[in-house]
Amino acid sequence: MKPDIPAVLAELAGLVARNAVPDVDPAERAGALSLSAALLGMAAEAWDGAAQRLVEENKALRALLSDAGDRAGRNAWLSQGIDDDLRVSVLAAANARLRSALIELHAAVEGDDAPDARALETRIWEELRLSTERRQMSAALA
Amino acid sequence: MASADLAPRLAAYAASRMPGARDVEVRDLSRISGGASRQTFRFRLTWTEAGAPRERRMILRRDPPASLIDTERRVEFEAYRAFFGSRVPVPEMIWLEEGTEALDLPFSVAEEIIGFEAAPALLWTEPYLASHESLARNKWTILGEIARADPFALGLDRVMPPPDPVGCWARELDMWEQVLDEDQAEPLPITRAAIRWLRAHPPAPAQKIGVVHGDFRTGNFLYDRQGGIHGVLDWEMAHLGDPLEDLGWSLNPVWNFKRNLAGGLVPDAVAIAHWEAASGLKADPAAVHWWTLFNCVKGQAIWISSARAWIDGGNREPIMVLPAWGMQNPQDRAILKVMDRL
Repeated sequence: MKPDIPAVLAELAGLVARNAVPDVDPAERAGALSLSAALLGMAAEAWDGAAQRLVEENKALRALLSDAGDRAGRNAWLSQGIDDDLRVSVLAAANARLRSALIELHAAVEGDDAPDARALETRIWEELRLSTERRQMSAALA
Repeated sequence: MASADLAPRLAAYAASRMPGARDVEVRDLSRISGGASRQTFRFRLTWTEAGAPRERRMILRRDPPASLIDTERRVEFEAYRAFFGSRVPVPEMIWLEEGTEALDLPFSVAEEIIGFEAAPALLWTEPYLASHESLARNKWTILGEIARADPFALGLDRVMPPPDPVGCWARELDMWEQVLDEDQAEPLPITRAAIRWLRAHPPAPAQKIGVVHGDFRTGNFLYDRQGGIHGVLDWEMAHLGDPLEDLGWSLNPVWNFKRNLAGGLVPDAVAIAHWEAASGLKADPAAVHWWTLFNCVKGQAIWISSARAWIDGGNREPIMVLPAWGMQNPQDRAILKVMDRL
């Protein structure tokens, strides 16, 4: 999730502290705190599963790139990565590299009628569908 | 500027614009929550004129340092003015101040339309449940009226550049893709796939160049319990283009509010039929599909730019994080749905 959760939580801490001062306009305080509550709820939901989601997704993307073989081109090396540092920021950086590679692979195969290209595109769409499921939150706005 | 400082300065500005008024005061100034693109306040303006006390309820919208949508306030102001008094209900615009001397930032002032609701969530509670068909008829009829309007007769081409009917889709797609290129904080494989599809399958030329509201959806109009609509708001993304663009935005699945209905109200086909009847235009299914998917991309660009404004520190209000966290995933799912990949 962008902005990153730790940065938003730090900002919300300051916001809550500012709204603890007695002379804040009640309407502004109500608006700030209700929005803060909504964001805290989202952060709480995302927090527990964040590392698991990224590890799972990175694994699936590496498998896709590995199976793409030469079609992965200059990004083929990314399929060899391992998530041995489980900090969310590190996992997210690896995820961004892998999803960039996925975009290039998708663009390369979608106009190709070869059977292996068709099969890869089907797998890419399936992974994209699964990625939206992994990222879904009960507190989503729509 | 704190509210305590804002009120007297706003009163001084109002007095300067009302030569016949005396004892001008701003009362009950309070910020309205929301308003990610403008800081929005409501207030009562009181004054004395020809010996008689006067009062009017007004809305102040002031540019924040960085907003969710970077828009030209004059375009928005002129769009409101063009439709005031027409079958498209809008509040009266009173003042537009593009300088920064009066209130540090540019702003506009409009009449406040009172007594109605805007929040989408209320629509699925009593006593609004019985109003959905009526509300939908009014909603897409008004959108059709916007499409029917002649922007050149309204003089809007003076502030909104008219595009070529053949290329208006490309102008819009180029613009929003550029927003994504500049503002994305992480790769967007679903959105990028949608953009490639849109470029490979362009829509038919626009039937006409019309006014595009740019953000016509449930939540951006004032409604009553019977399904009446009394004010269409948030014209800050108004421009000239293919009227189907607005129809596509209204059919973006993120505005279904987790109901499989256009705007959470009626099936898409019903909404489209109301729009066709009012606009006098045809909603070619392939073109509607293109514009609906385009609007999913546009939506994602808006949510992404909200995150960017926060990350860069231009606007650290929590309202900027809410769409970034709460809308990106639903928008991805909406793209998959429109592309029949869900």
